[in-house]
Amino acid sequence: MSTSELSEQRAGRPDEIEAVPVRHPGRWIASFVVVVIAASIVRSVITNPRFQWHTVGHYLFDPRILHGVRITIELTVLSMIIGILLGVLLAVMRLSPNPLISGSSWLYIWFFRGTPLLVQLLFWNFISALFPRIDLGIPFGPSFIHANANTLIPGFVAALLGFGLNEGAYMAEIVRAGMLSVGEGQTEAAQSLGMGRLAIMRLIVLPQAMRVIIPPTGNETISMLKNTSLVLVIASVFDLLFEASQIYSAQFNEIPLLIVVSIWYLALTSVLYVGQYFIERRYGRGFSRQQRVTMRARWLGSRGNPPVTDTG
Amino acid sequence: MPAALKSKGTLTVAADASYAPNEFIASDGHTVIGMDADLMKAIATAMGLKIKVVNATFDSIIPGLASGKYDVGASSFTDTKEREKTVDFVDYLTAGESFYTKASGGTEISTIADLCGHTVAVERGTTEQADANTQSKKCKAAGKPAVTVLPFADQNGANLALVSGRAQLGFADSPPAEYQVKKSNGQFKLVGQSYASAPYGLAVPKNSGLAKPIQAAVLALMKDGQYKAILTHWGVQAGAIPASQVKINGAIS
Repeated sequence: MSTSELSEQRAGRPDEIEAVPVRHPGRWIASFVVVVIAASIVRSVITNPRFQWHTVGHYLFDPRILHGVRITIELTVLSMIIGILLGVLLAVMRLSPNPLISGSSWLYIWFFRGTPLLVQLLFWNFISALFPRIDLGIPFGPSFIHANANTLIPGFVAALLGFGLNEGAYMAEIVRAGMLSVGEGQTEAAQSLGMGRLAIMRLIVLPQAMRVIIPPTGNETISMLKNTSLVLVIASVFDLLFEASQIYSAQFNEIPLLIVVSIWYLALTSVLYVGQYFIERRYGRGFSRQQRVTMRARWLGSRGNPPVTDTG
Repeated sequence: MPAALKSKGTLTVAADASYAPNEFIASDGHTVIGMDADLMKAIATAMGLKIKVVNATFDSIIPGLASGKYDVGASSFTDTKEREKTVDFVDYLTAGESFYTKASGGTEISTIADLCGHTVAVERGTTEQADANTQSKKCKAAGKPAVTVLPFADQNGANLALVSGRAQLGFADSPPAEYQVKKSNGQFKLVGQSYASAPYGLAVPKNSGLAKPIQAAVLALMKDGQYKAILTHWGVQAGAIPASQVKINGAIS
């Protein structure tokens, strides 16, 4: 049977569609270019002896570096806890109808966002140049704790104060944005049920605001992880970068040690990415089906498969 | 002289300008001045080159020389065997190390052996940092409390640590220690004796061919009196060395 006979047989009916997928020659060319560039970068990085990869390998798991990694993690976690708690408090204060409360929150945020973190860190570390003794107690009344400022605030605490109080100011704005994103109807409905302001905040507004608060908070945490390296200037907190600088200032191998430091920061940041993904998914429940995509699907691309349902 | 430098015509000199009177920032806020800067200017002139003195953190100068960023490091470098593995030195002065403390309520020590259990502020990458760390190990080996060493990026940080009481002692080369005490308006005083005299060297990249011409220039400045005049101008003439001591890589430890 020839083609012409076939078409005669089917006379009156439209031809079968010969579907050919749209060709994307541009994509192939672009992919090729990207692969070639990537390969040449990798090759030059691996083969360039000036990177001193053997030195990098030698110091990557050096006990001093590992100690630095631990201190960096401690600084990041503790500073973020201080920052987040302070941020929530300041945001609630900022939205208070009492002008004195909201005004003082504004003043705090203005001060801590308006001066460089590095300068704040130096101030906290050298605080005893301003206040040699610190007394804690009832203002204008008796005090219970008197201490030398340097004993009360060792280097590590100075760093926590510097990072935590600064972070509080930024977190306050993030939390405030989250609270404002929750519709006023929610508050009104809660009020009509007779709930008080704090109960509304805690039970109604904050849980819903979390969805908006989480992504920028993840961003802040990643930022904090690297900002903690500023403790270099106070010379008494042995974080990752400071430990590395101790080694390279004696051995004159600055570049390989800085590579070691970068590898560790990248690894820690990657862990934070995973954490952020799971927290985001939890607080995004019931808001969008886009949120219900597994980690695997996100990495490999979902390719139009039906949304994967899981127990998240 | 290396041909590349001759065609470039400018000697790039790095100094950590927090170490008066050897190198510090002039009142204009950015020019590096001091004994090392003046000496390098005279050396460059003798070599027929222009000069650019740049400020750098002390511990970044030797890596900067190794990577070709600077031609000379003129920053009160003590010529040590450890550093000679990475750079070449032209010795040009001698200086010891001194301790200083707060004038009122400071910590009294007489030698480095008394450092056990104390907190000392140093500049990162200096021989003082290395010496304090070594002493800390000796203290521990002898069953005494260790030395807490606070290494700052520059000498200003170390001095601030002393002012604020973070550290009990400052530890620096004798000329800057003496100068800082003098300029501190009675806040600091020297304690103990200056010790561990060692040669200062001008650092150049290893095998760069720069050491010999710089050595010749230093000797020429000694002959025509400029060397003595510059040292006297900055009050460090006590560290002057005879021509026979102007060695290349003359580290004693």
